[in-house]
Amino acid sequence: MHTPEISNFSLFLCSLLLIIPFAISIIFKLGIIKSTLTSVVRMAVQLLLIGIFLKYLFQFNIPLVNILWLVIMIAVATFNVTSKINLKLKTFLLPIFISFIVATFFVIFYFNIFILDIENVVDARFLIVIGGMLLGNSLRGDIIGIDNFYRMIKRNENRHLYNLSLGATIMEALLPYLKESLVSALQPTMATMATMGIVFLPGMMTGQILGGVSPVLAIKYQIAIMIAIFVSTTIAINLAILLTIRTCFNPYGLLRKETFR
Amino acid sequence: MIKFENVEVKFNDNYLLKDLSFTIENGEKLLIYGQSGIGKTTIFRLLLGFEFPQQGNIYFEKKILDVNTIWDIRKKVAYVSQNLDIGSGNVSRLIQHAFSYKSNAHLTTSKERLKESLSFFRLKESILKEDFERLSGGEKQRIAIITALLLDRNIFLLDEATSSLDIELKEKVITLFIENRQWTVLVISHDKDWLNRPGLKVINLDKNHAYTRNI
Repeated sequence: MHTPEISNFSLFLCSLLLIIPFAISIIFKLGIIKSTLTSVVRMAVQLLLIGIFLKYLFQFNIPLVNILWLVIMIAVATFNVTSKINLKLKTFLLPIFISFIVATFFVIFYFNIFILDIENVVDARFLIVIGGMLLGNSLRGDIIGIDNFYRMIKRNENRHLYNLSLGATIMEALLPYLKESLVSALQPTMATMATMGIVFLPGMMTGQILGGVSPVLAIKYQIAIMIAIFVSTTIAINLAILLTIRTCFNPYGLLRKETFR
Repeated sequence: MIKFENVEVKFNDNYLLKDLSFTIENGEKLLIYGQSGIGKTTIFRLLLGFEFPQQGNIYFEKKILDVNTIWDIRKKVAYVSQNLDIGSGNVSRLIQHAFSYKSNAHLTTSKERLKESLSFFRLKESILKEDFERLSGGEKQRIAIITALLLDRNIFLLDEATSSLDIELKEKVITLFIENRQWTVLVISHDKDWLNRPGLKVINLDKNHAYTRNI
Protein backbone atom coordinates (compact mmCIF):
# COMPACT_ATOMS: atom_id res chain seq x y z
CA MET A 1 0.00 0.00 0.00
CA HIS A 2 1.34 3.41 -0.83
CA THR A 3 0.00 6.95 -0.80
CA PRO A 4 -1.10 8.15 -4.24
CA GLU A 5 0.85 11.12 -5.49
CA ILE A 6 -0.91 14.49 -5.71
CA SER A 7 0.53 16.31 -8.70
CA ASN A 8 0.60 20.08 -8.98
CA PHE A 9 -2.15 19.81 -11.53
CA SER A 10 -4.29 17.79 -9.09
CA LEU A 11 -3.75 20.48 -6.49
CA PHE A 12 -4.99 22.99 -9.03
CA LEU A 13 -8.07 20.80 -9.58
CA CYS A 14 -8.62 20.80 -5.84
CA SER A 15 -8.48 24.58 -5.66
CA LEU A 16 -11.21 24.71 -8.32
CA LEU A 17 -13.56 23.48 -5.60
CA LEU A 18 -13.26 26.95 -4.08
CA ILE A 19 -15.53 28.19 -6.87
CA ILE A 20 -18.45 26.87 -4.81
CA PRO A 21 -17.88 29.01 -1.69
CA PHE A 22 -16.96 31.95 -3.94
CA ALA A 23 -20.22 31.63 -5.83
CA ILE A 24 -22.12 31.52 -2.54
CA SER A 25 -20.18 34.54 -1.35
CA ILE A 26 -21.25 36.47 -4.44
CA ILE A 27 -24.90 35.41 -4.17
CA PHE A 28 -25.21 36.25 -0.49
CA LYS A 29 -22.77 39.18 -0.64
CA LEU A 30 -20.65 37.64 2.11
CA GLY A 31 -17.60 39.57 0.95
CA ILE A 32 -15.21 36.82 1.96
CA ILE A 33 -13.58 36.08 -1.39
CA LYS A 34 -10.61 38.32 -0.80
CA SER A 35 -9.97 37.11 2.73
CA THR A 36 -10.40 33.48 1.66
CA LEU A 37 -7.89 33.94 -1.13
CA THR A 38 -5.43 35.59 1.21
CA SER A 39 -5.83 32.76 3.70
CA VAL A 40 -5.41 30.06 1.08
CA VAL A 41 -2.32 31.73 -0.36
CA ARG A 42 -0.85 32.21 3.11
CA MET A 43 -1.49 28.59 3.93
CA ALA A 44 0.15 27.45 0.69
CA VAL A 45 3.22 29.64 1.09
CA GLN A 46 3.70 28.80 4.79
CA LEU A 47 3.32 25.08 4.21
CA LEU A 48 5.61 25.20 1.18
CA LEU A 49 8.33 26.90 3.20
CA ILE A 50 7.87 24.61 6.16
CA GLY A 51 7.89 21.64 3.80
CA ILE A 52 11.25 22.61 2.40
CA PHE A 53 12.51 23.38 5.88
CA LEU A 54 11.31 20.09 7.33
CA LYS A 55 12.80 18.19 4.42
CA TYR A 56 16.28 19.40 5.36
CA LEU A 57 15.59 19.21 9.06
CA PHE A 58 14.71 15.53 8.68
CA GLN A 59 17.59 14.94 6.30
CA PHE A 60 20.31 16.38 8.54
CA ASN A 61 18.55 15.46 11.77
CA ILE A 62 20.91 17.37 14.10
CA PRO A 63 19.70 16.97 17.71
CA LEU A 64 20.45 20.52 18.79
CA VAL A 65 18.75 22.00 15.74
CA ASN A 66 15.71 19.80 16.31
CA ILE A 67 15.41 20.95 19.88
CA LEU A 68 15.94 24.56 18.87
CA TRP A 69 13.21 24.28 16.26
CA LEU A 70 10.77 22.89 18.84
CA VAL A 71 11.65 25.79 21.14
CA ILE A 72 10.87 28.21 18.31
CA MET A 73 7.55 26.46 17.75
CA ILE A 74 6.79 26.85 21.44
CA ALA A 75 7.72 30.54 21.29
CA VAL A 76 5.31 31.07 18.41
CA ALA A 77 2.60 29.17 20.31
CA THR A 78 3.26 31.40 23.33
CA PHE A 79 2.76 34.54 21.25
CA ASN A 80 -0.36 33.03 19.80
CA VAL A 81 -1.87 32.30 23.21
CA THR A 82 -0.83 35.57 24.86
CA SER A 83 -2.16 37.67 22.00
CA LYS A 84 -5.56 36.00 22.23
CA ILE A 85 -6.11 36.57 25.92
CA ASN A 86 -6.93 39.93 27.38
CA LEU A 87 -3.95 39.92 29.70
CA LYS A 88 -0.78 41.98 29.77
CA LEU A 89 1.80 40.57 27.37
CA LYS A 90 4.72 41.68 29.49
CA THR A 91 3.48 39.80 32.54
CA PHE A 92 2.38 36.65 30.81
CA LEU A 93 4.80 36.02 27.97
CA LEU A 94 7.62 34.49 29.99
CA PRO A 95 5.54 32.38 32.42
CA ILE A 96 3.46 30.95 29.56
CA PHE A 97 6.61 30.24 27.57
CA ILE A 98 8.19 28.40 30.50
CA SER A 99 4.99 26.45 31.12
CA PHE A 100 4.80 25.34 27.49
CA ILE A 101 8.46 24.36 27.46
CA VAL A 102 8.06 22.21 30.56
CA ALA A 103 4.73 20.69 29.50
CA THR A 104 5.80 19.93 25.92
CA PHE A 105 9.27 18.61 26.65
CA PHE A 106 8.15 16.49 29.59
CA VAL A 107 5.34 14.85 27.66
CA ILE A 108 7.33 14.43 24.47
CA PHE A 109 10.32 12.83 26.18
CA TYR A 110 8.02 10.50 28.09
CA PHE A 111 6.30 9.70 24.81
CA ASN A 112 9.49 9.05 22.87
CA ILE A 113 11.28 7.15 25.62
CA PHE A 114 8.55 5.02 27.14
CA ILE A 115 5.78 4.80 24.57
CA LEU A 116 7.64 4.75 21.26
CA ASP A 117 10.80 3.37 22.79
CA ILE A 118 12.93 4.97 20.05
CA GLU A 119 16.68 5.15 20.31
CA ASN A 120 17.13 8.75 19.30
CA VAL A 121 14.62 10.67 21.43
CA VAL A 122 15.41 13.91 19.64
CA ASP A 123 14.83 12.46 16.20
CA ALA A 124 13.20 15.21 14.12
CA ARG A 125 10.53 12.88 12.79
CA PHE A 126 9.18 12.38 16.31
CA LEU A 127 10.32 15.40 18.28
CA ILE A 128 9.01 17.96 15.81
CA VAL A 129 5.98 16.15 14.51
CA ILE A 130 4.67 15.05 17.88
CA GLY A 131 5.71 18.32 19.49
CA GLY A 132 3.71 20.15 16.84
CA MET A 133 0.66 17.98 17.46
CA LEU A 134 0.87 18.56 21.19
CA LEU A 135 1.21 22.32 20.81
CA GLY A 136 -1.41 22.70 18.11
CA ASN A 137 -3.99 20.69 19.99
CA SER A 138 -3.45 22.08 23.46
CA LEU A 139 -3.41 25.76 22.45
CA ARG A 140 -7.16 26.18 22.59
CA GLY A 141 -7.37 24.58 26.01
CA ASP A 142 -4.49 26.68 27.29
CA ILE A 143 -6.14 29.88 26.11
CA ILE A 144 -9.48 28.93 27.70
CA GLY A 145 -7.84 27.91 30.98
CA ILE A 146 -5.59 30.89 31.59
CA ASP A 147 -8.13 33.40 30.34
CA ASN A 148 -10.96 31.91 32.42
CA PHE A 149 -8.93 31.91 35.60
CA TYR A 150 -8.21 35.63 35.56
CA ARG A 151 -11.56 36.61 34.11
CA MET A 152 -13.49 34.67 36.74
CA ILE A 153 -11.60 36.31 39.57
CA LYS A 154 -12.14 39.74 38.09
CA ARG A 155 -15.83 39.09 37.56
CA ASN A 156 -16.27 37.60 41.03
CA GLU A 157 -14.21 40.24 42.78
CA ASN A 158 -16.66 40.58 45.64
CA ARG A 159 -16.62 36.82 46.28
CA HIS A 160 -12.85 36.82 46.24
CA LEU A 161 -12.75 39.62 48.81
CA TYR A 162 -15.35 37.85 50.93
CA ASN A 163 -13.24 34.70 50.96
CA LEU A 164 -10.17 36.68 51.99
CA SER A 165 -12.20 38.30 54.77
CA LEU A 166 -13.11 34.82 56.02
CA GLY A 167 -9.42 34.19 56.61
CA ALA A 168 -8.56 32.26 53.46
CA THR A 169 -4.94 32.19 52.36
CA ILE A 170 -4.32 33.35 48.83
CA MET A 171 -4.02 29.78 47.58
CA GLU A 172 -7.20 28.74 49.41
CA ALA A 173 -9.07 31.66 47.89
CA LEU A 174 -7.81 30.90 44.38
CA LEU A 175 -8.19 27.13 44.41
CA PRO A 176 -11.86 27.05 43.34
CA TYR A 177 -11.02 29.23 40.33
CA LEU A 178 -8.03 27.09 39.43
CA LYS A 179 -10.21 24.00 39.51
CA GLU A 180 -12.96 25.58 37.46
CA SER A 181 -10.67 26.98 34.80
CA LEU A 182 -8.85 23.69 34.48
CA VAL A 183 -12.10 21.81 34.01
CA SER A 184 -13.32 24.30 31.43
CA ALA A 185 -10.02 24.03 29.55
CA LEU A 186 -9.97 20.25 29.50
CA GLN A 187 -13.60 19.81 28.57
CA PRO A 188 -13.10 20.30 24.80
CA THR A 189 -10.38 17.63 24.74
CA MET A 190 -12.55 15.32 26.84
CA ALA A 191 -15.45 15.83 24.46
CA THR A 192 -13.17 15.17 21.48
CA MET A 193 -11.93 11.96 23.06
CA ALA A 194 -15.44 10.81 23.88
CA THR A 195 -16.73 11.25 20.34
CA MET A 196 -13.58 10.19 18.55
CA GLY A 197 -14.06 7.56 15.90
CA ILE A 198 -17.82 7.90 15.90
CA VAL A 199 -18.37 11.51 14.99
CA PHE A 200 -15.12 12.08 13.17
CA LEU A 201 -11.89 10.39 12.26
CA PRO A 202 -8.96 12.31 13.69
CA GLY A 203 -6.41 13.84 11.35
CA MET A 204 -3.38 11.99 12.64
CA MET A 205 -5.01 8.61 12.35
CA THR A 206 -6.38 9.38 8.90
CA GLY A 207 -2.96 10.57 7.82
CA GLN A 208 -1.27 7.40 9.02
CA ILE A 209 -3.82 5.17 7.36
CA LEU A 210 -3.40 7.10 4.09
CA GLY A 211 0.33 6.66 4.56
CA GLY A 212 -0.08 2.91 4.61
CA VAL A 213 0.00 2.20 8.34
CA SER A 214 -2.36 -0.50 9.57
CA PRO A 215 -5.54 0.93 11.16
CA VAL A 216 -4.79 -0.83 14.45
CA LEU A 217 -1.42 0.85 14.82
CA ALA A 218 -2.88 4.17 13.68
CA ILE A 219 -5.53 3.88 16.40
CA LYS A 220 -2.89 3.18 19.03
CA TYR A 221 -0.99 6.27 17.96
CA GLN A 222 -4.17 8.30 18.10
CA ILE A 223 -5.00 7.12 21.61
CA ALA A 224 -1.47 7.85 22.80
CA ILE A 225 -1.40 11.32 21.27
CA MET A 226 -4.80 12.25 22.73
CA ILE A 227 -3.64 11.30 26.21
CA ALA A 228 -0.42 13.22 25.64
CA ILE A 229 -2.40 16.31 24.55
CA PHE A 230 -4.60 16.02 27.62
CA VAL A 231 -1.64 15.77 29.96
CA SER A 232 0.38 18.56 28.38
CA THR A 233 -2.65 20.89 28.53
CA THR A 234 -3.08 20.11 32.23
CA ILE A 235 0.58 20.75 33.00
CA ALA A 236 0.75 23.93 30.92
CA ILE A 237 -2.31 25.57 32.48
CA ASN A 238 -1.43 24.68 36.05
CA LEU A 239 2.09 25.87 35.67
CA ALA A 240 1.14 29.07 33.84
CA ILE A 241 -1.34 29.98 36.57
CA LEU A 242 1.01 29.10 39.42
CA LEU A 243 3.82 31.09 37.81
CA THR A 244 1.67 34.18 37.28
CA ILE A 245 -0.14 34.28 40.63
CA ARG A 246 2.84 35.87 42.35
CA THR A 247 3.03 38.75 39.91
CA CYS A 248 -0.71 39.22 39.34
CA PHE A 249 -1.78 39.39 42.97
CA ASN A 250 -0.36 41.88 45.42
CA PRO A 251 0.86 40.78 48.86
CA TYR A 252 -2.62 41.55 50.22
CA GLY A 253 -4.12 38.91 47.94
CA LEU A 254 -5.80 41.37 45.59
CA LEU A 255 -5.74 41.00 41.83
CA ARG A 256 -3.60 43.76 40.36
CA LYS A 257 -5.31 46.01 37.84
CA GLU A 258 -2.22 45.86 35.64
CA THR A 259 -2.92 42.17 35.01
CA PHE A 260 -5.30 43.10 32.24
CA ARG A 261 -4.62 44.95 29.03
CA MET B 1 -8.57 47.94 69.63
CA ILE B 2 -8.87 49.60 66.25
CA LYS B 3 -7.33 52.97 65.64
CA PHE B 4 -7.38 55.24 62.60
CA GLU B 5 -4.75 57.98 62.68
CA ASN B 6 -5.08 60.88 60.24
CA VAL B 7 -6.19 58.57 57.49
CA GLU B 8 -6.50 60.04 54.04
CA VAL B 9 -7.88 58.37 50.93
CA LYS B 10 -7.96 60.12 47.61
CA PHE B 11 -9.91 58.97 44.60
CA ASN B 12 -8.44 60.56 41.48
CA ASP B 13 -7.89 64.05 42.88
CA ASN B 14 -10.79 64.14 45.30
CA TYR B 15 -10.56 63.31 48.94
CA LEU B 16 -12.78 60.47 49.96
CA LEU B 17 -11.54 60.47 53.52
CA LYS B 18 -9.49 63.28 54.92
CA ASP B 19 -7.71 63.36 58.21
CA LEU B 20 -9.91 60.69 59.76
CA SER B 21 -8.98 59.66 63.27
CA PHE B 22 -10.85 57.55 65.76
CA THR B 23 -10.22 54.79 68.26
CA ILE B 24 -12.47 51.92 69.17
CA GLU B 25 -11.62 49.91 72.25
CA ASN B 26 -12.49 46.26 72.61
CA GLY B 27 -16.16 45.79 73.35
CA GLU B 28 -17.17 49.19 72.03
CA LYS B 29 -19.75 49.75 69.34
CA LEU B 30 -19.28 52.28 66.58
CA LEU B 31 -21.83 53.53 64.10
CA ILE B 32 -20.52 55.11 60.91
CA TYR B 33 -23.27 57.27 59.61
CA GLY B 34 -23.66 59.43 56.51
CA GLN B 35 -24.91 59.75 52.95
CA SER B 36 -24.23 57.26 50.19
CA GLY B 37 -20.90 57.67 48.42
CA ILE B 38 -19.34 59.52 51.31
CA GLY B 39 -16.73 56.83 51.97
CA LYS B 40 -18.28 54.73 54.71
CA THR B 41 -17.53 51.40 53.05
CA THR B 42 -13.98 52.58 52.35
CA ILE B 43 -13.34 52.54 56.10
CA PHE B 44 -14.12 48.80 56.18
CA ARG B 45 -12.18 48.15 52.99
CA LEU B 46 -9.15 49.83 54.56
CA LEU B 47 -9.49 47.67 57.65
CA LEU B 48 -9.61 44.50 55.55
CA GLY B 49 -6.66 45.45 53.37
CA PHE B 50 -8.78 45.84 50.25
CA GLU B 51 -7.78 49.48 49.91
CA PHE B 52 -4.88 51.52 51.16
CA PRO B 53 -4.62 55.00 52.64
CA GLN B 54 -2.40 57.54 50.91
CA GLN B 55 -1.70 59.12 54.27
CA GLY B 56 -2.03 58.08 57.88
CA ASN B 57 -1.98 54.76 59.65
CA ILE B 58 -4.39 52.16 60.83
CA TYR B 59 -3.69 50.12 63.95
CA PHE B 60 -5.21 46.84 64.93
CA GLU B 61 -4.51 45.65 68.44
CA LYS B 62 -1.72 48.22 68.60
CA LYS B 63 0.01 46.81 65.55
CA ILE B 64 0.12 48.77 62.36
CA LEU B 65 -1.97 47.36 59.54
CA ASP B 66 0.38 46.26 56.78
CA VAL B 67 1.19 43.30 54.63
CA ASN B 68 2.51 41.36 57.63
CA THR B 69 -0.49 41.84 59.88
CA ILE B 70 -3.37 41.90 57.40
CA TRP B 71 -3.67 38.13 57.01
CA ASP B 72 -3.98 37.82 60.76
CA ILE B 73 -6.50 40.66 60.99
CA ARG B 74 -8.70 38.93 58.42
CA LYS B 75 -8.82 35.90 60.70
CA LYS B 76 -10.10 37.96 63.59
CA VAL B 77 -12.75 40.05 61.90
CA ALA B 78 -16.18 38.92 60.78
CA TYR B 79 -17.32 40.96 57.82
CA VAL B 80 -20.82 41.25 56.42
CA SER B 81 -20.53 43.19 53.21
CA GLN B 82 -23.20 45.30 51.63
CA ASN B 83 -22.65 43.48 48.36
CA LEU B 84 -24.22 40.09 48.93
CA ASP B 85 -22.69 38.40 45.91
CA ILE B 86 -20.64 36.20 48.19
CA GLY B 87 -20.96 32.81 46.57
CA SER B 88 -23.07 30.32 44.74
CA GLY B 89 -24.47 26.87 45.19
CA ASN B 90 -26.66 25.69 47.99
CA VAL B 91 -26.82 27.62 51.23
CA SER B 92 -25.55 24.78 53.38
CA ARG B 93 -22.47 24.42 51.19
CA LEU B 94 -21.85 28.15 51.22
CA ILE B 95 -21.89 28.25 55.02
CA GLN B 96 -19.66 25.17 55.25
CA HIS B 97 -17.30 26.75 52.74
CA ALA B 98 -16.29 29.36 55.29
CA PHE B 99 -15.10 26.58 57.58
CA SER B 100 -13.09 24.82 54.91
CA TYR B 101 -10.23 27.28 55.36
CA LYS B 102 -7.34 26.31 57.58
CA SER B 103 -7.80 29.35 59.80
CA ASN B 104 -11.37 28.29 60.63
CA ALA B 105 -10.76 24.56 60.74
CA HIS B 106 -10.63 24.53 64.56
CA LEU B 107 -14.26 25.64 64.72
CA THR B 108 -16.85 22.98 65.04
CA THR B 109 -20.25 24.09 63.94
CA SER B 110 -22.81 21.82 65.39
CA LYS B 111 -26.07 21.23 63.56
CA GLU B 112 -27.92 22.39 66.65
CA ARG B 113 -26.18 25.72 66.67
CA LEU B 114 -26.94 26.28 63.01
CA LYS B 115 -30.58 25.33 63.62
CA GLU B 116 -30.78 27.76 66.53
CA SER B 117 -29.32 30.54 64.41
CA LEU B 118 -31.75 29.86 61.61
CA SER B 119 -34.71 30.01 63.92
CA PHE B 120 -33.39 33.15 65.64
CA PHE B 121 -33.31 34.78 62.21
CA ARG B 122 -36.74 33.35 61.37
CA LEU B 123 -35.47 31.14 58.57
CA LYS B 124 -36.74 27.66 57.83
CA GLU B 125 -34.28 24.81 57.85
CA SER B 126 -35.24 23.99 54.28
CA ILE B 127 -33.39 27.14 53.18
CA LEU B 128 -30.14 25.21 53.57
CA LYS B 129 -30.99 23.23 50.46
CA GLU B 130 -31.83 26.26 48.37
CA ASP B 131 -29.59 27.99 45.87
CA PHE B 132 -28.03 31.02 47.54
CA GLU B 133 -28.19 33.13 44.41
CA ARG B 134 -31.96 32.71 44.20
CA LEU B 135 -32.66 33.93 47.71
CA SER B 136 -34.20 37.33 48.39
CA GLY B 137 -31.98 40.18 49.59
CA GLY B 138 -33.25 39.81 53.15
CA GLU B 139 -32.59 36.08 53.18
CA LYS B 140 -29.08 36.53 51.79
CA GLN B 141 -28.41 39.14 54.44
CA ARG B 142 -29.49 36.79 57.20
CA ILE B 143 -27.36 33.93 55.85
CA ALA B 144 -24.35 36.27 55.71
CA ILE B 145 -24.91 37.38 59.31
CA ILE B 146 -25.37 33.78 60.47
CA THR B 147 -22.08 32.79 58.81
CA ALA B 148 -20.33 35.74 60.46
CA LEU B 149 -21.69 34.71 63.85
CA LEU B 150 -20.72 31.06 63.44
CA LEU B 151 -17.11 32.11 62.86
CA ASP B 152 -16.92 32.90 66.58
CA ARG B 153 -14.95 36.09 66.11
CA ASN B 154 -15.08 39.06 68.39
CA ILE B 155 -14.94 41.90 65.94
CA PHE B 156 -17.76 42.56 63.52
CA LEU B 157 -17.84 44.82 60.51
CA LEU B 158 -21.45 45.16 59.45
CA ASP B 159 -21.98 47.11 56.24
CA GLU B 160 -25.70 47.87 55.86
CA ALA B 161 -26.21 44.38 57.20
CA THR B 162 -29.76 44.96 58.41
CA SER B 163 -31.06 47.08 55.53
CA SER B 164 -33.41 44.45 54.09
CA LEU B 165 -34.77 43.09 57.36
CA ASP B 166 -38.22 43.96 58.71
CA ILE B 167 -38.46 46.23 61.73
CA GLU B 168 -39.04 43.47 64.24
CA LEU B 169 -36.07 41.39 63.11
CA LYS B 170 -33.89 44.48 62.73
CA GLU B 171 -34.53 45.36 66.37
CA LYS B 172 -33.65 41.82 67.39
CA VAL B 173 -30.38 41.82 65.44
CA ILE B 174 -29.37 45.28 66.63
CA THR B 175 -29.98 44.24 70.22
CA LEU B 176 -27.98 41.05 69.71
CA PHE B 177 -24.93 42.95 68.54
CA ILE B 178 -25.14 45.90 70.93
CA GLU B 179 -25.76 43.94 74.08
CA ASN B 180 -22.87 41.52 73.74
CA ARG B 181 -20.10 43.02 75.83
CA GLN B 182 -17.36 40.87 74.34
CA TRP B 183 -17.93 42.02 70.83
CA THR B 184 -16.42 45.02 69.14
CA VAL B 185 -18.93 46.08 66.53
CA LEU B 186 -18.46 48.55 63.70
CA VAL B 187 -21.64 49.32 61.85
CA ILE B 188 -22.30 51.20 58.65
CA SER B 189 -25.93 52.09 58.33
CA HIS B 190 -28.45 54.62 57.10
CA ASP B 191 -30.93 53.21 59.57
CA LYS B 192 -32.24 55.43 62.31
CA ASP B 193 -32.79 52.22 64.28
CA TRP B 194 -29.08 51.99 64.95
CA LEU B 195 -28.63 55.73 65.49
CA ASN B 196 -31.24 55.87 68.21
CA ARG B 197 -29.60 53.23 70.33
CA PRO B 198 -27.77 54.37 73.45
CA GLY B 199 -24.21 53.28 74.13
CA LEU B 200 -23.03 53.73 70.58
CA LYS B 201 -20.16 55.83 69.36
CA VAL B 202 -21.13 57.65 66.21
CA ILE B 203 -19.04 59.03 63.42
CA ASN B 204 -21.00 61.17 61.05
CA LEU B 205 -19.27 61.62 57.73
CA ASP B 206 -20.20 64.59 55.61
CA LYS B 207 -19.15 66.20 52.38
CA ASN B 208 -16.69 68.59 53.96
CA HIS B 209 -14.85 65.75 55.66
CA ALA B 210 -15.99 67.06 58.98
CA TYR B 211 -16.49 64.10 61.23
CA THR B 212 -18.78 64.76 64.10
CA ARG B 213 -18.39 62.33 66.88
CA ASN B 214 -20.94 61.60 69.45
CA ILE B 215 -19.21 59.68 72.13
